[in-house]
Amino acid sequence: MSKQVQDAYIVAATRLPVGKRKGMFRTTRPDDMLAFALRSVLAQVPQIEPKLVGDVIVGCAMPEAEQGMNVARIGVLLAGLPDTVPAITINRFCSSGVNAVAMAADRIRLGECDVAIGAGTESMSILAQMMGNKVASNPAFFTDENRAIAYGMGITAERVAERWQVTREQQDAFAVESNRRALAAIAAGQFKDEITPYLVREHLPDFASGTVNIRERLFENDEGPRPGTTMESLAKLRAVFAAKGSVTAGNSSQMSDGAAAVLLMSEAAVKRYNVKPLARFVSFSVAGVPPEIMGIGPIEAIPRVLAQAGVKQEDIGWIELNEAFAAQSLAVIRELGLDPAKVNPLGGAIALGHPLGATGAIRTATVVHGMRRTKQKWGLVTMCIGTGMGAAGLFEAL
Amino acid sequence: MEKLVIRRAAVLGAGVMGAQIAAHLANADVPVVLFDLAAPGGTPNGIVNKALDVLKKLEPSPLATKERLGYIDAANYDQHLGLLSECDLVIEAIAEKMEWKEDLYQRITPHLKPGAIVASNTSGLSISHLAAILPAERRSHFCGIHFFNPPRYMSLVEIIPTAESLPGMLDRLETWLTSRLGKNVVRAKDTPNFIANRIGVFSMLAVMHHTTRMGLGFDEVDALTGPKIGRAKSATYRTADVVGLDTMAHVIRTMKDTLADDPWHAYFESPAWLAALIEKGALGQKTRAGVFRKVGKEIQVLDLAKLDYRPSAGEIATEVDAILKIRNPAEKFAALRASGHPQAKFLWAIFRDIFHYAACQLEQIADNARDLDFAMRWGFGWSQGPFETWQAAGWQPIAEAIAADIAAGVAMSATPLPAWVFERNGVHEPAGSYSASANKLSPRSSLPVYRRQLFPERVLGEAPDPRGETVWQNDGVRLWTHPLDANIAIVSVKSKMHTVGDEVLDGLLEAVARAEKGFDGLVIWHEPPFAVGANLQQVSEACAAGKFDLLEATVAKFQRASMALKHAQVPTVAAVQGMALGGGCEFVMHAGHRVMALESYCGLVEAGVGLIPAGGGCKEFALRAAEIAKRQAGNDPFYFLQNVFTTIAMAHVSKSALEAKDMGFAGASDDFVFNANELLYVAIRRARAMAEAGWRPPLRARGVAVAGRPGIATLEMMLVNMKEGGMISAHDYRVAKAAATALCGGDVEPGTIVDDEWLLAVERREFVELLKTPETQARIKHMLETGKPLRN
Repeated sequence: MSKQVQDAYIVAATRLPVGKRKGMFRTTRPDDMLAFALRSVLAQVPQIEPKLVGDVIVGCAMPEAEQGMNVARIGVLLAGLPDTVPAITINRFCSSGVNAVAMAADRIRLGECDVAIGAGTESMSILAQMMGNKVASNPAFFTDENRAIAYGMGITAERVAERWQVTREQQDAFAVESNRRALAAIAAGQFKDEITPYLVREHLPDFASGTVNIRERLFENDEGPRPGTTMESLAKLRAVFAAKGSVTAGNSSQMSDGAAAVLLMSEAAVKRYNVKPLARFVSFSVAGVPPEIMGIGPIEAIPRVLAQAGVKQEDIGWIELNEAFAAQSLAVIRELGLDPAKVNPLGGAIALGHPLGATGAIRTATVVHGMRRTKQKWGLVTMCIGTGMGAAGLFEAL
Repeated sequence: MEKLVIRRAAVLGAGVMGAQIAAHLANADVPVVLFDLAAPGGTPNGIVNKALDVLKKLEPSPLATKERLGYIDAANYDQHLGLLSECDLVIEAIAEKMEWKEDLYQRITPHLKPGAIVASNTSGLSISHLAAILPAERRSHFCGIHFFNPPRYMSLVEIIPTAESLPGMLDRLETWLTSRLGKNVVRAKDTPNFIANRIGVFSMLAVMHHTTRMGLGFDEVDALTGPKIGRAKSATYRTADVVGLDTMAHVIRTMKDTLADDPWHAYFESPAWLAALIEKGALGQKTRAGVFRKVGKEIQVLDLAKLDYRPSAGEIATEVDAILKIRNPAEKFAALRASGHPQAKFLWAIFRDIFHYAACQLEQIADNARDLDFAMRWGFGWSQGPFETWQAAGWQPIAEAIAADIAAGVAMSATPLPAWVFERNGVHEPAGSYSASANKLSPRSSLPVYRRQLFPERVLGEAPDPRGETVWQNDGVRLWTHPLDANIAIVSVKSKMHTVGDEVLDGLLEAVARAEKGFDGLVIWHEPPFAVGANLQQVSEACAAGKFDLLEATVAKFQRASMALKHAQVPTVAAVQGMALGGGCEFVMHAGHRVMALESYCGLVEAGVGLIPAGGGCKEFALRAAEIAKRQAGNDPFYFLQNVFTTIAMAHVSKSALEAKDMGFAGASDDFVFNANELLYVAIRRARAMAEAGWRPPLRARGVAVAGRPGIATLEMMLVNMKEGGMISAHDYRVAKAAATALCGGDVEPGTIVDDEWLLAVERREFVELLKTPETQARIKHMLETGKPLRN
């Protein structure tokens, strides 16, 4: 095990349900979602006064417009935390959320603070375009060496499918299973531990009376999973990124809105405030891969984090592998020889959704609570990252 | 004349016709309430909502733009009859069941607005019977209003008055339908099936009768009864498949039930094969099989002899084809009659029986022969009505031939031709068309609305309209004036499909110069299409000869012509109808003002031949992007260009003038005219108004901020992904990048300030570079040879 000044413990982890793009959270702001996640996670450990939080680190993949301006600090202030609690927004695309948890842990592990929060927030509904409010690429991209920077994620998935020979049928079958698992998990209440329901309030005109009505709806379960997803229904979808491709809307992750927060403490603080930790944060790794096959990122990141921690792959009981695309998920599973039963037991992003920078924090909540329920010891949160990286965070259930 | 004001309309019945009529009202800026029965269970407006969903998907679209759907309110008879009190026009279009209509009329009556017009779109039931259901005081504002399917595109509307219909109301309604909805109105008498369907369905029955009698194939008959004789491409049996064989049978049944006294009554029966197909559930297009069906890529036709389908061929015999090519109608008909070929005999037989039927029915069904001929043109898409065809072929010789066939017992009916036929030398004369009921010539309608049609459609034999005073002309254009305003010059392009070649450019430049000197305004007008683009033949020849300097000079001249239109010292008005593609679209964009017929199809389609718009089209969009950006926070011209780029790269063409406006080819202050016959009138009046308002040409553009290099790069990012995904070819990429470069003002830093001259130079350079590529040259050649774009 790598040398640490002190260990960091997860004492609470919660998330909002994930909304489909333009769905339940279509008008809910990402700073409000973040503030709610922060308040909720602190509420779960009442003996910790908010003023004790030494830093709040928030992942967001498109930190602009409504989630710009250092959304982390805005979220802290909106949550009613004391002015003394600082915050920073970080961005490593799809790993931002787990990266934020890791960085919060780092501050504790270095002994710089006793209590910290790692979080994530992302609204894909509010962005004018998928790649942000203003896309502006560099003319230097269009050379043979740099072209892959300009690749959309879909093209990279096609490349992975091609090179790792993942067929359309395999991708669709993976997507069907993801939906099946997610629906079963929701039905069995397996997300109850990690989700804090959110009261969505919308200001809507009442044309008859000429007044503005406030509609309130309690949002409790992830909106993404599609009942009735079958091989036949998926086979009808057309490949969207390539004329002769295999990647469809049905076997890709969904665009979503969501937020999550994870509260971490040092061992000393855990003892001082008599808090029962859920898990120990063990280690985190990140590695670069060619941007044109960015989806294989976890193939580099997972062995690295395991080596850092001295844990064997076969000892991992629960793997949250972000399903950016079925194609890359299957390539990673095959290449590393992961046990499909242990990968995304409650379904993945194809069914549950993928609110980019929030996903890592959301799935940390999933793995921490899931391992406790199923008495697992080691768990991973891992994902591929646009422009070619992979990240992995390792957790030990307590 | 008192004007008809329709602030809101209601359509009762959300079937195929009702929903599409509602859509066309919405197209014409009339808010509509569309009613149907309350749905049992679910949302009460379920039936109408479903109909509105269908409207979105129908092709060709009944909606001029998708947003028009928002002006149709869904309603049901249980909850919303109160809304009728706000409607000035109520069109009933429910199923053809008298008892249902009776019930509905009784339900709506208490809710109607005083003075509202109620009209039925029935195609079969008696209008007088329907009127009788209404209380006496309502009948003055009731009549039949019979639209044809699809109502946006088929221009005919038959108005069927009853004895109690107020003449002033009918005139106001006709005026409104003509100008506001853009329809061609014919007044019909209240007889079963009115005019167009009476003649049109008889024509189909006659064709069916002679098909079996002569033992011809359905495919063969369709080849004979389509464009070769001036009728729709779908000819006879394809039309039946499209209409629905069950509907056809229903219409025939109606004729049988309601026309017991018709001398041809014996023929109002569905043929056995038709009944058999319906029995089998082969109802035509909607069930994917009827007279024709498609198996894989093969079109098959029902073969009566085999009682099974076989590959469709439908060939016209060489000798018959030669006869059909004869220009002189008298000679053509003489040759048809003289020929022993079964196809020729068939053609003569169907013409003879339609002539015979039309002559015998004229008195009963129409005021005059012109109305009957127009009904067939506008309701069935025939290029000529039966009387025109007859008259062109020589009235008396044909009359005698018909009489001889009747005497010989080979005509479908032994009924003699009416006496008036032998007393005349035709039915259409300069003074009017023959009215069999009044036994005199009936002049055209004197309603003021028709004065807005400077070149209305004329039946053969009518006095042609004066062509105006020619001011100047060359091989490409004619510059002339119309008596409506002798100080507004009109320039009309002469080339085929109004393609823009060198002589047209010279002509336009000269026309602008002459208009600036001696006139108050300039209108560009001619019959549709407005223009299908540059003369590719000339471009191809210059490419083959390697004359790229000459080509660059031609492009520069194209740009000068566009700029001359935009910056002329007199107002220039483009009167647009039909296709305005490529260079044609660029002229539309550059004119000082646009008067556009609803059916205007605009697009910068140069990419299809491997080119980009270079007649100022890219420049215009770059200018607009800069103009809009100036008014927005952030000053970024890119957002606007992103959509424009897609329009150009994908060669999108608008499906209506209103969509052309949404795509940026026209502006909100332009005029959108629903009746294309009014186009020239409106354009001249608009030019006059602009002149009177003190026209000042727009200044040449300076201080234009462009999107520059990052703009091009961001558009290129889309191209990289499409190329990598195999969606576009390397040459598509190159062409689209050239368009991106022209739209973004060249390879300069973002926000660089340029002028219009710079932008023109960028698009010109990109254009000529593309012309030099073998792929673009191959695309042009392919288009010239096949009329279709080449994907290379």
